[in-house]
Amino acid sequence: MSTTETTASPHPQPTGYTSPLSRGRDGFRQLLHAEWTKLRTVRRWSLTLLGAVLATILASLLSAQGNQTSGGEDTIAVSADGTTVRDNFRFVHQSLTGDGSVTVRVAGIVPAPGRNADRPPILSPWTKAGLIAKASTVPGTGYAAIMLTPGHGVRFQHDFTGDTAGSSAGTAAPRWLRLTRTGALLTGYESTDGATWHKVGSAKPAGLSDTIEVGMFTTSPEAVTMNRSFSSTEVNGELGMATATFDHYTADGRVTGTLRPDDVRRAASSPNGPFPGMPSNTSTADNGTYTITAAGDIAPLEPDMDPVQQGLRGTMTGLIPLAALGVLFITAEFRRGMILTTFTASPRRGRVLAAKAVVLGAVTFVAGLLAALVSFGITRGILRGNGFKPPMFPEARWSDGSVLRALVGTGVLMALVTVCALAVGTLLRNTAAGIAVVVVVMVLPQILISGLPLGAARFLVQSTPMAGFSIQNTTHRVPQVDNVCLPEEGCYTYGPYAGLGVLAAYTAVLLALAVWQLRRRKV
Amino acid sequence: MDTTIEVSGLHKRFGQTPAVDGLSFTARPGHVTGFVGPNGAGKSTTMRMLVGLDLPDSGHAHIGGRPYRALRTPLYEVGALLDAGAIHPNRRGRDHLLWLAHSHGLSARRVDELLELVGLASAGRRRAGGYSLGMRQRLGIATALLGDPPVLLLDEPVNGLDPEGIRWIRGLLRSLAAEGRTVLISSHLMSELEDSADHLVVVGRGRLVAETGVAELLAAASGNRVAVRTEARVQAIAVLTGEGAAVAATGRDTLTVTDLPAERVIALLTTHTIPFSEVSAHRATLEEAYMELTRDSTEFHAAGDSALAHHPGED
Repeated sequence: MSTTETTASPHPQPTGYTSPLSRGRDGFRQLLHAEWTKLRTVRRWSLTLLGAVLATILASLLSAQGNQTSGGEDTIAVSADGTTVRDNFRFVHQSLTGDGSVTVRVAGIVPAPGRNADRPPILSPWTKAGLIAKASTVPGTGYAAIMLTPGHGVRFQHDFTGDTAGSSAGTAAPRWLRLTRTGALLTGYESTDGATWHKVGSAKPAGLSDTIEVGMFTTSPEAVTMNRSFSSTEVNGELGMATATFDHYTADGRVTGTLRPDDVRRAASSPNGPFPGMPSNTSTADNGTYTITAAGDIAPLEPDMDPVQQGLRGTMTGLIPLAALGVLFITAEFRRGMILTTFTASPRRGRVLAAKAVVLGAVTFVAGLLAALVSFGITRGILRGNGFKPPMFPEARWSDGSVLRALVGTGVLMALVTVCALAVGTLLRNTAAGIAVVVVVMVLPQILISGLPLGAARFLVQSTPMAGFSIQNTTHRVPQVDNVCLPEEGCYTYGPYAGLGVLAAYTAVLLALAVWQLRRRKV
Repeated sequence: MDTTIEVSGLHKRFGQTPAVDGLSFTARPGHVTGFVGPNGAGKSTTMRMLVGLDLPDSGHAHIGGRPYRALRTPLYEVGALLDAGAIHPNRRGRDHLLWLAHSHGLSARRVDELLELVGLASAGRRRAGGYSLGMRQRLGIATALLGDPPVLLLDEPVNGLDPEGIRWIRGLLRSLAAEGRTVLISSHLMSELEDSADHLVVVGRGRLVAETGVAELLAAASGNRVAVRTEARVQAIAVLTGEGAAVAATGRDTLTVTDLPAERVIALLTTHTIPFSEVSAHRATLEEAYMELTRDSTEFHAAGDSALAHHPGED
């Protein structure tokens, strides 16, 4: 550059000017560098980022402090693989050594009057009645069982998580069941007449010694009823006692001892039934009919709440300043006309928006991850003190895959929402309108879901960008347990990645629309 | 490398209103080309099309034979100042240049050089929201010069500058052209171009009014007029009109004589012993020349027709 005061040359060079400046490049990397410089040089934006991190942590902290849970501990057992389980049932059993088999006919399952005598008894769809082979009567030990259920037909289940469906027979007609042991392998069969048998499933349960306990069992989990009206949801977990009638019981192989009834339960629990306050009963008729009444369940225990997710409840609070930042990152340029300078320097507008999205996404990912790590770190102890502790709530460790997924996922969630806000800002070109739209889309579903019917609420949670919050879920749900899955309490009926995928799809579509419009509309 | 700005048959309309209506002109390397016209004449729209912000309906606005959007490293090819106010008020002036520099891989050192050049070395450390219009113009000129481009497009760069600033920018523009750059500056005030532009493109209502050298334009506007200063106005008028000249009284003791060379005027006055203190060839100002050119094409006259078409995106 030599642009000091000189006088105009009367004979201008016809070739034009050639700069001595060494030229850099105008690649995508340079564009990213430019956008990063834009972001970091407005102090207010840096403060917004910091504020979002602090707001997330603070809101998570406050939420954790007010979050208490209690109870249910005396019914909890732990299976061989460490899963927290319910293992409470009435067991009419004898010992079997070596190979052998047991056969029975389940004549019927009916609800028994429960704790609330004034209410009509309810039968849970997952009431279980059938044959079980178990290492011992100690809760949590390995087992395999063939059973009839009122709502889910014939099932072969083992070691709490294993579940194979047989025929979809109801409880209207009697059903024949058989459980066979060959070495370590247990196989379940069903039959309509006791002559023609169909295999349902087989498994090698954990920890079976040569001598095991075999026999008939009945158990019946909570029958969940729900009343939803606007602003309130009444959930009733009715402990559905059930009475199952068995006949034609036979046992082959080296069977020792007569059939004797026992409640499989933790010693500390109620003295007269597998489930506290729910007395079990067994009666035997002369014609070989056994009537077994019990409440309980043989299944993984699914806590209503996910402590990791509970510890990240400040995410929504942190997202609001981030959404504002995302919108402002582009609308500030429109408002001041700076977009003209931007597009003059980089005429390819789609690339400019892509660079903005990458920079904003990367920065908010780091901010979100940081906020999630700190929130998890400080709320873990608080929640533990508030009752979220083993065995009901397994200890959440940093190294757990699902915890890492929730923490990293929170960063991704925050990045995606901010990039969504950027796209909305690009489309609307107005700061106030952009922020309003993004915040309403984020917050409105949260307000609406508690008032909508469950189906509509679930649809809303799954189909709006807020589906991405499912990534914070660390509990593994199994289909063979009915649970009260309320979207407003952070329960998602789909996987963590599916929800994040919905949000990612929204982001991609909005960005594509924004690029399309940016190329066409006058700036 | 060819760095000529070439606008040819350019049309652009916004809705029903033609903003640029068949404009053609050329701005060559080594010249400061003034792009003049009243507000709403289509100057800014043309500038926007030159830097690819708008696409022409027909015709083309090329730089070095290519449309701007085809440039891959535009800051090295064309420096543009479109709107000096287009800065984020919470960003420091230096940071505004910095992001622009980073978009082309230029260093912070280059940014500091430019701040020094435009006289914002210390103000660059302050937030741009507190800048005066003049400081914004200087910052805008720095953005245009950042890539040391051979072509400069400056929309109303003199606007808001103080007298010292105007003197500075005139010198700067002349020296930039002297280095062989193509410099196109727009203005709605011809007087701003005095002493800097050597070539003029005059537009009105989106059309070309005149494309001419400044020297030729002034000569034409001056015409063969002679200014006479005399105490004996009445006698002088009688004598001069008697010789066939058109005479107009322009002041208490001044006359403007048309169609009579200065030597004849002096001879006649001397012959008739009419006293005079001054006889000189009339020099039109650029402003006068311009007013004459645009008399018919001015869209916004003093009063009355302000309800005429409003051009979106103009000025």
